[in-house]
Amino acid sequence: MNEEYITVSKVTDYIGELFRSDLNLRHVRIKGELSNVKLYPSGHLYFTLKDEESQIKGVMFAARYKLRFRPKHGMKVLIEGKIEVYNKHGNYQLYADKISKDGVGDLHRRFEELKEKLNKEGLFDESHKKDIPSFPKRIGVITAPNGAAIRDIITTINRRWPICQVILFPSLVQGDKAAENIVYQIRMSQKFNLDTLIVGRGGGSIEDLWSFNEEIVARAIYECETPVISAVGHEIDFTISDFVADLRAPTPTAAAEIAVPPYAEIKNAINQLSDRANMAINKKLDENKIKLDNITSKKIFTNPYEIYAPKEMMLDQIISRLDFSSKSLLMRNKSRLDLVKSSSVFKNPHELFTSQRIVLDNLVGRLDYSSSSLIKDNQNKLAMIKNSNVFKNPDKMFDSQKTVLDGLVNRLDYSSNRLISANRNRLDMVKNSSLFRNPEMIVNSKKEQYLLQFSKLEILNPLNTLKRGYTLAKSDDKVVSSVRDVKSGDELEVEFKDGSVNTKVI
Amino acid sequence: MVEENMSFEDNLKELEEIVANLEKGDVSLDNAIEEFKKAMDLVKACDDKLKDAQDTIAKIVKDNGEITDFNVE
Repeated sequence: MNEEYITVSKVTDYIGELFRSDLNLRHVRIKGELSNVKLYPSGHLYFTLKDEESQIKGVMFAARYKLRFRPKHGMKVLIEGKIEVYNKHGNYQLYADKISKDGVGDLHRRFEELKEKLNKEGLFDESHKKDIPSFPKRIGVITAPNGAAIRDIITTINRRWPICQVILFPSLVQGDKAAENIVYQIRMSQKFNLDTLIVGRGGGSIEDLWSFNEEIVARAIYECETPVISAVGHEIDFTISDFVADLRAPTPTAAAEIAVPPYAEIKNAINQLSDRANMAINKKLDENKIKLDNITSKKIFTNPYEIYAPKEMMLDQIISRLDFSSKSLLMRNKSRLDLVKSSSVFKNPHELFTSQRIVLDNLVGRLDYSSSSLIKDNQNKLAMIKNSNVFKNPDKMFDSQKTVLDGLVNRLDYSSNRLISANRNRLDMVKNSSLFRNPEMIVNSKKEQYLLQFSKLEILNPLNTLKRGYTLAKSDDKVVSSVRDVKSGDELEVEFKDGSVNTKVI
Repeated sequence: MVEENMSFEDNLKELEEIVANLEKGDVSLDNAIEEFKKAMDLVKACDDKLKDAQDTIAKIVKDNGEITDFNVE
């Protein structure tokens, strides 16, 4: 038996270890009803979770940052977490990681199903989205008349674009009747010639916002001919209305900002456009003024006389020259005319005729004389020809020519005879030469010369040396003439006068 | 002349176009002056519309379809 005692801490540690080692307790999912809910300034949430028969203490650290709803007494919840021992109090408790409202899961499922269905039908298609007018004159708002949403929207529009009218179509925005009411007002708003329609409400729980997830609301927005901006809850809240609207605004204030342009900026933009127009026109005017100045400053405008005066001077000169030369031309022609007029032809044409007649008579007379003398000359020449020797005694002329020919024949005869006798003498000389008379003498003398040369050659023949008993040593057909050219073992061919033997040097 | 029934948006758009065109500077002086006059008319039209602005007149449509002023609480 163990007599030892252990401390409380030890036993609590031991139990704590048992809890931690149990996988079932490390991750639990528990449903129940909240009570004794306390949210501390630290953000930690303390509560008791219970059902009809049991209860368990629980804590969620920094719950404020994790929960999208405010946990309240009596609220049915689903909790995920772990169960551990709290040593200080010696009890076990639930450490919650996640708390959600029981039944909300069902809403989430419905949300996803409807979203999927409408998406398939094409209600969210971008092609169906209408543009939001930039400068609206009349904006409709469907929301609660007493909520923060309408106040935010009117304030924002008033600040940004006060020339726009806002028409409120009051509607329930939560509860069973809300969806129907919203649909009714969407249809009602169509009669008011609106530029833009804002549909929405301020923040709330998923149940609060649920009417904006109803199918009838989604379809009414889809069918609405006015461009619709949805503005439901806070930035993090997404509803089916957001998907089907032409534009989703994260909050009602944001919806108003999207719906209207900022007045000051537009005013500024118009002023700037006005300034730019003025600058552009001034620039244009300046440009044209410079062009005009350029043109008017040219000489023709400032001092036209300067341009035409030199031309005028030139013109004067030309005119005076023209004047002078025409006058002198006239005078010259006049004097020539006077000369012509004063000539005898004009004064006394008959005299001219008479003088020309004398000239003509003179010419005829001269022509007459010269033709008769020409005839006379030719008659004399003919007479001379007739009296020449050729005509009178042609034989005499023939004889003298024959004498000349005979002389030439005699001279030719004599010189040919001389040429023949000269060539005959040269032939005789050739015939009498020794080559013709004794050719053998020449052959014999050439033969003697040859024999003399041959005997000289015979002395030099090495074979003759062999005949005297000498031998010739050869290696590879080359004559060996020195002992330095051979070594022991070399083969030598020794040639005698009547043959050769192969030998080996020892 | 600026048409009376043109929307603010149309006026502003036309004004922007005219100013851009003027700034290009490739129109004749006569045309430029004509365009400039038109631009000034548009500026005036836009300004007039902005000057008309008073505090947003909020209305509420009652269940019976009657429209009355709506005062933000």
